[in-house]
Amino acid sequence: MTAQTLDAFQVIADPSRRQMMQLLSKDSMTINALAENFDMSRPAVSKHIKIMYNAGFLSITDIGRERYCTLKQDGFSELQDFINYFDKFWAGKLKKLETLLNNKTKGK
Amino acid sequence: MKKEIKHTWFFHQPPQEVWEYLTKPELLEQWLMKTDFQPIVGHKFRFICNNIAWCEVLEVKPFTKLSYSWQADSASDNKPFNSKVVWTLVPKENGTELQLVHNGFTVLEDLVNHENGWNACFKQIEELLNTIKQ
Repeated sequence: MTAQTLDAFQVIADPSRRQMMQLLSKDSMTINALAENFDMSRPAVSKHIKIMYNAGFLSITDIGRERYCTLKQDGFSELQDFINYFDKFWAGKLKKLETLLNNKTKGK
Repeated sequence: MKKEIKHTWFFHQPPQEVWEYLTKPELLEQWLMKTDFQPIVGHKFRFICNNIAWCEVLEVKPFTKLSYSWQADSASDNKPFNSKVVWTLVPKENGTELQLVHNGFTVLEDLVNHENGWNACFKQIEELLNTIKQ
Protein backbone atom coordinates (compact mmCIF):
# COMPACT_ATOMS: atom_id res chain seq x y z
CA MET A 1 0.00 0.00 0.00
CA THR A 2 1.36 3.42 -0.88
CA ALA A 3 1.69 5.53 2.21
CA GLN A 4 0.38 8.86 1.04
CA THR A 5 0.93 11.75 3.38
CA LEU A 6 -1.49 14.62 3.06
CA ASP A 7 -1.98 17.68 5.24
CA ALA A 8 -5.00 17.88 7.51
CA PHE A 9 -7.10 19.94 5.10
CA GLN A 10 -6.43 17.58 2.24
CA VAL A 11 -7.39 14.66 4.45
CA ILE A 12 -10.79 16.11 5.25
CA ALA A 13 -11.28 17.40 1.69
CA ASP A 14 -12.47 13.94 0.70
CA PRO A 15 -16.18 13.32 1.46
CA SER A 16 -15.68 9.59 2.09
CA ARG A 17 -13.02 10.27 4.68
CA ARG A 18 -15.22 12.85 6.40
CA GLN A 19 -17.99 10.27 6.52
CA MET A 20 -15.61 7.71 8.00
CA MET A 21 -14.60 10.17 10.70
CA GLN A 22 -18.21 10.88 11.48
CA LEU A 23 -18.89 7.16 11.91
CA LEU A 24 -15.82 6.81 14.07
CA SER A 25 -16.80 9.81 16.19
CA LYS A 26 -19.47 7.57 17.75
CA ASP A 27 -17.27 4.60 18.49
CA SER A 28 -14.19 2.66 17.44
CA MET A 29 -14.86 0.36 14.50
CA THR A 30 -13.11 -2.47 12.71
CA ILE A 31 -11.99 -1.77 9.18
CA ASN A 32 -14.48 -4.37 7.96
CA ALA A 33 -17.40 -2.79 9.82
CA LEU A 34 -16.39 0.59 8.47
CA ALA A 35 -16.13 -0.77 4.92
CA GLU A 36 -19.72 -2.06 5.08
CA ASN A 37 -20.94 1.53 5.11
CA PHE A 38 -19.29 2.37 1.82
CA ASP A 39 -19.83 1.39 -1.74
CA MET A 40 -16.15 0.90 -2.48
CA SER A 41 -13.63 -1.91 -2.43
CA ARG A 42 -12.00 -3.00 0.80
CA PRO A 43 -8.54 -1.90 -0.50
CA ALA A 44 -10.00 1.52 -1.29
CA VAL A 45 -11.30 1.80 2.27
CA SER A 46 -7.91 0.68 3.61
CA LYS A 47 -6.21 3.35 1.56
CA HIS A 48 -8.41 6.07 3.07
CA ILE A 49 -7.71 4.69 6.53
CA LYS A 50 -4.00 4.74 5.86
CA ILE A 51 -4.22 8.38 4.77
CA MET A 52 -6.12 9.34 7.94
CA TYR A 53 -3.70 7.31 10.03
CA ASN A 54 -0.66 9.02 8.48
CA ALA A 55 -2.14 12.45 9.16
CA GLY A 56 -2.86 11.64 12.81
CA PHE A 57 -6.65 11.46 12.56
CA LEU A 58 -6.87 7.90 13.84
CA SER A 59 -5.02 5.09 15.55
CA ILE A 60 -5.20 1.43 14.60
CA THR A 61 -5.19 -1.37 17.17
CA ASP A 62 -5.05 -5.08 16.39
CA ILE A 63 -7.41 -7.07 18.58
CA GLY A 64 -7.47 -10.73 17.68
CA ARG A 65 -7.81 -10.93 13.94
CA GLU A 66 -9.48 -7.58 13.64
CA ARG A 67 -8.01 -4.13 13.18
CA TYR A 68 -9.83 -1.43 15.12
CA CYS A 69 -9.79 2.23 14.13
CA THR A 70 -10.16 4.93 16.78
CA LEU A 71 -10.20 8.67 16.20
CA LYS A 72 -7.19 10.54 17.43
CA GLN A 73 -6.82 14.22 18.27
CA ASP A 74 -3.60 15.12 16.46
CA GLY A 75 -5.13 15.58 13.01
CA PHE A 76 -7.93 17.72 14.36
CA SER A 77 -5.50 19.86 16.32
CA GLU A 78 -3.68 20.54 13.10
CA LEU A 79 -6.89 21.85 11.54
CA GLN A 80 -7.29 24.12 14.53
CA ASP A 81 -3.70 25.27 14.32
CA PHE A 82 -4.47 26.36 10.82
CA ILE A 83 -7.52 28.37 11.88
CA ASN A 84 -5.47 29.74 14.73
CA TYR A 85 -2.80 30.83 12.28
CA PHE A 86 -5.36 32.81 10.28
CA ASP A 87 -6.76 34.29 13.46
CA LYS A 88 -3.37 35.71 14.37
CA PHE A 89 -2.74 36.73 10.78
CA TRP A 90 -5.83 38.94 10.71
CA ALA A 91 -5.24 40.35 14.19
CA GLY A 92 -1.75 41.37 13.11
CA LYS A 93 -2.97 42.93 9.89
CA LEU A 94 -5.72 44.90 11.60
CA LYS A 95 -3.22 46.21 14.11
CA LYS A 96 -1.10 47.35 11.20
CA LEU A 97 -4.07 49.11 9.62
CA GLU A 98 -4.80 50.85 12.89
CA THR A 99 -1.23 52.12 13.14
CA LEU A 100 -1.34 53.24 9.53
CA LEU A 101 -4.57 55.20 9.98
CA ASN A 102 -3.47 56.73 13.25
CA ASN A 103 -0.18 57.92 11.80
CA LYS A 104 -2.05 59.39 8.88
CA THR A 105 -4.35 61.37 11.18
CA LYS A 106 -1.40 62.63 13.19
CA GLY A 107 0.35 63.72 10.01
CA LYS A 108 -2.55 65.98 9.03
CA MET B 1 -14.72 22.92 17.01
CA LYS B 2 -13.75 26.38 15.88
CA LYS B 3 -14.80 27.02 12.31
CA GLU B 4 -14.54 30.73 11.90
CA ILE B 5 -12.44 33.75 12.72
CA LYS B 6 -14.00 36.95 14.00
CA HIS B 7 -12.40 40.25 14.83
CA THR B 8 -13.93 43.58 15.75
CA TRP B 9 -11.75 46.63 15.59
CA PHE B 10 -12.44 50.27 16.26
CA PHE B 11 -11.00 53.05 14.14
CA HIS B 12 -11.19 56.77 14.79
CA GLN B 13 -11.78 57.43 11.10
CA PRO B 14 -15.18 57.60 9.38
CA PRO B 15 -16.40 54.54 7.36
CA GLN B 16 -15.58 56.27 4.07
CA GLU B 17 -11.95 56.47 5.02
CA VAL B 18 -11.73 52.92 6.36
CA TRP B 19 -13.50 51.72 3.22
CA GLU B 20 -10.71 53.19 1.08
CA TYR B 21 -8.21 51.06 2.94
CA LEU B 22 -10.28 47.96 2.25
CA THR B 23 -10.78 48.64 -1.44
CA LYS B 24 -7.84 50.52 -2.94
CA PRO B 25 -5.01 48.22 -4.00
CA GLU B 26 -2.31 50.78 -3.24
CA LEU B 27 -3.69 51.17 0.29
CA LEU B 28 -4.36 47.45 0.80
CA GLU B 29 -0.75 46.82 -0.05
CA GLN B 30 0.34 49.00 2.85
CA TRP B 31 -1.27 46.92 5.58
CA LEU B 32 -2.45 43.62 4.07
CA MET B 33 -0.90 42.31 0.89
CA LYS B 34 -0.11 43.14 -2.69
CA THR B 35 -3.30 42.70 -4.68
CA ASP B 36 -5.15 43.38 -7.92
CA PHE B 37 -8.45 43.87 -6.10
CA GLN B 38 -11.26 45.95 -7.59
CA PRO B 39 -14.56 46.61 -5.80
CA ILE B 40 -16.67 44.98 -8.51
CA VAL B 41 -18.84 41.93 -7.83
CA GLY B 42 -17.49 38.95 -9.75
CA HIS B 43 -14.00 40.42 -10.10
CA LYS B 44 -11.37 37.72 -9.66
CA PHE B 45 -8.19 38.84 -7.92
CA ARG B 46 -5.27 37.71 -5.83
CA PHE B 47 -3.55 38.56 -2.60
CA ILE B 48 0.12 37.92 -3.01
CA CYS B 49 2.81 37.37 -0.42
CA ASN B 50 4.65 34.09 0.24
CA ASN B 51 1.54 32.21 -0.77
CA ILE B 52 -1.15 33.38 -3.12
CA ALA B 53 -4.77 33.65 -2.06
CA TRP B 54 -7.17 33.38 -5.01
CA CYS B 55 -10.24 35.49 -4.47
CA GLU B 56 -13.48 36.63 -6.07
CA VAL B 57 -15.56 39.62 -5.02
CA LEU B 58 -18.96 38.47 -3.74
CA GLU B 59 -20.59 41.59 -2.34
CA VAL B 60 -19.91 45.32 -2.46
CA LYS B 61 -22.05 47.77 -0.47
CA PRO B 62 -20.02 50.96 -0.43
CA PHE B 63 -18.90 52.04 3.07
CA THR B 64 -20.96 49.24 4.63
CA LYS B 65 -20.07 45.73 3.54
CA LEU B 66 -17.52 43.91 1.44
CA SER B 67 -17.04 40.21 0.98
CA TYR B 68 -14.90 37.92 -1.13
CA SER B 69 -14.14 34.27 -1.45
CA TRP B 70 -10.68 33.22 -0.32
CA GLN B 71 -8.99 30.15 -1.74
CA ALA B 72 -5.66 29.52 -0.17
CA ASP B 73 -3.08 26.87 -0.79
CA SER B 74 -3.08 24.31 1.97
CA ALA B 75 0.17 23.52 3.69
CA SER B 76 1.92 20.70 1.87
CA ASP B 77 0.88 21.03 -1.75
CA ASN B 78 -1.23 23.22 -3.94
CA LYS B 79 -4.67 21.87 -3.31
CA PRO B 80 -6.63 24.90 -2.18
CA PHE B 81 -9.44 25.08 0.31
CA ASN B 82 -12.38 27.44 0.05
CA SER B 83 -13.34 30.09 2.54
CA LYS B 84 -14.96 33.49 2.73
CA VAL B 85 -13.96 36.88 4.11
CA VAL B 86 -16.64 39.39 5.11
CA TRP B 87 -15.97 42.98 6.18
CA THR B 88 -18.73 45.00 7.82
CA LEU B 89 -18.37 48.68 8.64
CA VAL B 90 -20.56 50.14 11.35
CA PRO B 91 -20.55 53.93 11.71
CA LYS B 92 -20.05 55.10 15.28
CA GLU B 93 -20.17 58.54 16.84
CA ASN B 94 -16.44 59.15 16.63
CA GLY B 95 -15.30 56.57 14.16
CA THR B 96 -15.96 53.16 12.64
CA GLU B 97 -16.38 49.70 14.02
CA LEU B 98 -14.89 47.25 11.57
CA GLN B 99 -15.97 43.64 11.82
CA LEU B 100 -14.14 40.85 10.09
CA VAL B 101 -15.47 37.34 9.69
CA HIS B 102 -13.36 34.75 7.94
CA ASN B 103 -15.35 31.54 7.69
CA GLY B 104 -16.91 29.12 5.25
CA PHE B 105 -13.97 26.75 5.43
CA THR B 106 -16.11 24.41 3.39
CA VAL B 107 -14.63 21.05 4.27
CA LEU B 108 -14.33 21.93 7.94
CA GLU B 109 -17.98 22.92 8.17
CA ASP B 110 -19.07 19.76 6.48
CA LEU B 111 -17.08 17.76 8.98
CA VAL B 112 -18.37 19.52 12.04
CA ASN B 113 -21.95 20.38 11.09
CA HIS B 114 -22.95 16.80 10.52
CA GLU B 115 -25.94 15.92 12.65
CA ASN B 116 -24.05 13.10 14.35
CA GLY B 117 -22.06 15.71 16.16
CA TRP B 118 -18.96 14.85 18.06
CA ASN B 119 -19.03 12.84 21.23
CA ALA B 120 -17.11 13.06 24.45
CA CYS B 121 -13.86 11.88 22.91
CA PHE B 122 -13.64 15.35 21.37
CA LYS B 123 -14.18 17.26 24.52
CA GLN B 124 -10.53 18.10 24.65
CA ILE B 125 -10.57 19.49 21.14
CA GLU B 126 -13.64 21.51 21.97
CA GLU B 127 -11.87 23.04 24.95
CA LEU B 128 -8.85 23.79 22.83
CA LEU B 129 -11.03 25.58 20.33
CA ASN B 130 -12.78 27.61 22.95
CA THR B 131 -9.46 28.77 24.27
CA ILE B 132 -8.46 29.91 20.81
CA LYS B 133 -11.74 31.74 20.38
CA GLN B 134 -11.30 33.89 23.48
